[in-house]
Amino acid sequence: MNVSPITPNPRARFAAMLAPTSHGVWPFGAAAVDACLPGGGLPLGVLHEVSAPGLDGETGAAGAGFLACIAGAIGRGREIFWIGPAVADLHPPGLLSYGLDPGRLVQVETPDDDASLAAMEAVLRSGSAGVVVGEAGRLGRVAARRLQLACLKHGTTGFVLRRWPYGRKPAAEEAIAAVTRWEIAPAPSAVIERTPGAARWRVRLTHARGGQAGGWIMQAREGDDDGPHPLRVVAGLAAVAAAADAERERSAG
Amino acid sequence: MPSENEAPAKPAATVETLHAVRRLAAVNPEAAAAGLAPGQALAEARAICPELDVLEADPAADRAALARLAGWAERYTPLAAPDAPDGLVLDIAGCEHLFGGERALAEDLSARLLRAGLEHRLAVAGTHGAAWALARAATARGICIHAAPGAERAELATLPVALLRLDARVVAGLRRLGLRSIGELARQPRGELTARFGPTPVQRLDQAHGAADAAIAWPRPPEPWETRLAFAEPIGTADDLARTLATLAAALCARLEAAERGAHRFIATFLRVDGARPAIAIGTSLPGHDAAHATKLLAAKLGEIDPGFGIDAAILTAQDIAPLRPPQRRLDDGREAATGLAATIDGLANRIGPSHIWRSEPYESHVPERAVRRIPPMTATRPAWEYDPSAERPIRLLRRPEPVEATALVPDEPPILFRWRGALHRIRAATGPERIAAEWWRRTPDDSRKETDLVRDYYRVEDTEGARFWLFRAGLEGTPRWFLHGLFG
Repeated sequence: MNVSPITPNPRARFAAMLAPTSHGVWPFGAAAVDACLPGGGLPLGVLHEVSAPGLDGETGAAGAGFLACIAGAIGRGREIFWIGPAVADLHPPGLLSYGLDPGRLVQVETPDDDASLAAMEAVLRSGSAGVVVGEAGRLGRVAARRLQLACLKHGTTGFVLRRWPYGRKPAAEEAIAAVTRWEIAPAPSAVIERTPGAARWRVRLTHARGGQAGGWIMQAREGDDDGPHPLRVVAGLAAVAAAADAERERSAG
Repeated sequence: MPSENEAPAKPAATVETLHAVRRLAAVNPEAAAAGLAPGQALAEARAICPELDVLEADPAADRAALARLAGWAERYTPLAAPDAPDGLVLDIAGCEHLFGGERALAEDLSARLLRAGLEHRLAVAGTHGAAWALARAATARGICIHAAPGAERAELATLPVALLRLDARVVAGLRRLGLRSIGELARQPRGELTARFGPTPVQRLDQAHGAADAAIAWPRPPEPWETRLAFAEPIGTADDLARTLATLAAALCARLEAAERGAHRFIATFLRVDGARPAIAIGTSLPGHDAAHATKLLAAKLGEIDPGFGIDAAILTAQDIAPLRPPQRRLDDGREAATGLAATIDGLANRIGPSHIWRSEPYESHVPERAVRRIPPMTATRPAWEYDPSAERPIRLLRRPEPVEATALVPDEPPILFRWRGALHRIRAATGPERIAAEWWRRTPDDSRKETDLVRDYYRVEDTEGARFWLFRAGLEGTPRWFLHGLFG
């Protein structure tokens, strides 16, 4: 009689199945960042959550710029689905400066958040997309779990960009079901003669399963001098905070 | 339409006003039994039959009901047309074997009409004209008369000439010549008939005898890519409808595949017993003949179908047919990836509407709103975009520029602060202006605005937080008005 081996610990097997790095990682190329992430980079084929405080939660601009940098580099050149109720304001020519080819972009306009998450799940499950970005005001635990499983099915990377309509209160934070959660805010760029430099973000990694939290200032790739990576880590947030404190003390004293 | 629960039936008639006289337009069997007939004056009819129920005739509603009945009759053949004022014509050539022959088809039709409470007379013949005459010559209801092929001439010979669809004036003229039956008319010299009554009598005679073609206005052109399924008993459950779709799709897609064709559109029409024809349609971005895919997309929309009291036939039509070669199996499975993408896009497009899913291609216009054009998401090649670092564009473009309160020290310089959506933004860096003028060739002649009012000076600005905006100043003269048009990431 053929007896299949009994897994000693089903929980361990399930955990292995959900291992965040089973589809590889995408390194940021900066030791400070990659050390905080499981497997030494952004895990691929899993679900990530990106939110932005304040004004950017309504406009979704800073988060979109940051995601465009990442989406342009992963997904093996396959289609990028960008799904959401207000996705019509995503302006394809604006993606070029972040290294994302708008020819890859398929925009999907949905009636509401639930439809966005359902459409995301359908695309992730089909395995025909390289990257799926969904804009939604809230991401419940069950929805996040479903999306996470859909990501794992074909190893497609999914991002939920938290965004809510103008004048609406942001939904309360839910328990985290995504593998990582990021908070993206704009940061002042390196100004040369009153001209803005390349886009910069105050990037906070608030949760990473199997990793640890961290915060950095990152800058979009500006030219060929920056190398092939779309993001460059300018400084750690701790260093920035210390510099700001010193500045404040100096101006006070 | 009389119904069976209207018992006991009373004599009834519809009435119309003809040349200022109220006349009967139609009578029910009870009224006919009392000696009434269409065309009689209402006063006379009331004298014969005082208990007569009178209704106003509504020819428009009659025509609509007849058209609905013709739609229902498509369960037998795709060629079913209303034949005003009171007839239906079905071309059953090639369809009768599906019902077990001409007689079986006619009996089935007759039984269903009776069940719906419709008085009728029915004839099957080799020509439209012969069937028309034989059906109207019958006296009893529901009788099927069969003209054997080629026997139209003999069967029609004894019928009155009026049954050749000739108008009353011609019939009266023929009667004056002593020509009462079709047989007598057929024996007359054709030239003299034409000289006296015009071409119609001879033409109608030839059409009835099958010597000339008759033109019938079918309500819709025959669809070459169509399958139909008629049920012995009406169905209504969602499972039955889904099974029907699968059966129809399998049959139709097998035909498409054999012909190396694919369809962009599939339409499933359900013929309800009450004559309504609810339909669902799906579109696919690539032409296809994958029955499982079409069934899945159609089944997702089955919820829109209200089966009412039951559905007794279903039709599946394929449209926008394009040649399609058998799938290529390549080593790098490029095509398979493309078809997987197409299936995903079809699934979304049929759920949220095809206009809500798109790809963008660059368009030759420097006006930002018009520099992007939406195209269907499935394209043979991806649209080619080129990066122009001298003309940075925002990642979010507002649908309509929003006015902002801005303070600029010098009119020609970018503002030092502005207020948008209630928040104040102090500007620490700015670049510009990039001057963009309206496209004069798109202006309407009656547009009275000056050319200088249609110029926008765009600035890329960054506030103290690091948020970046795309502002513009409208117009060159007068007080500058500032607008926010987009945001950079």
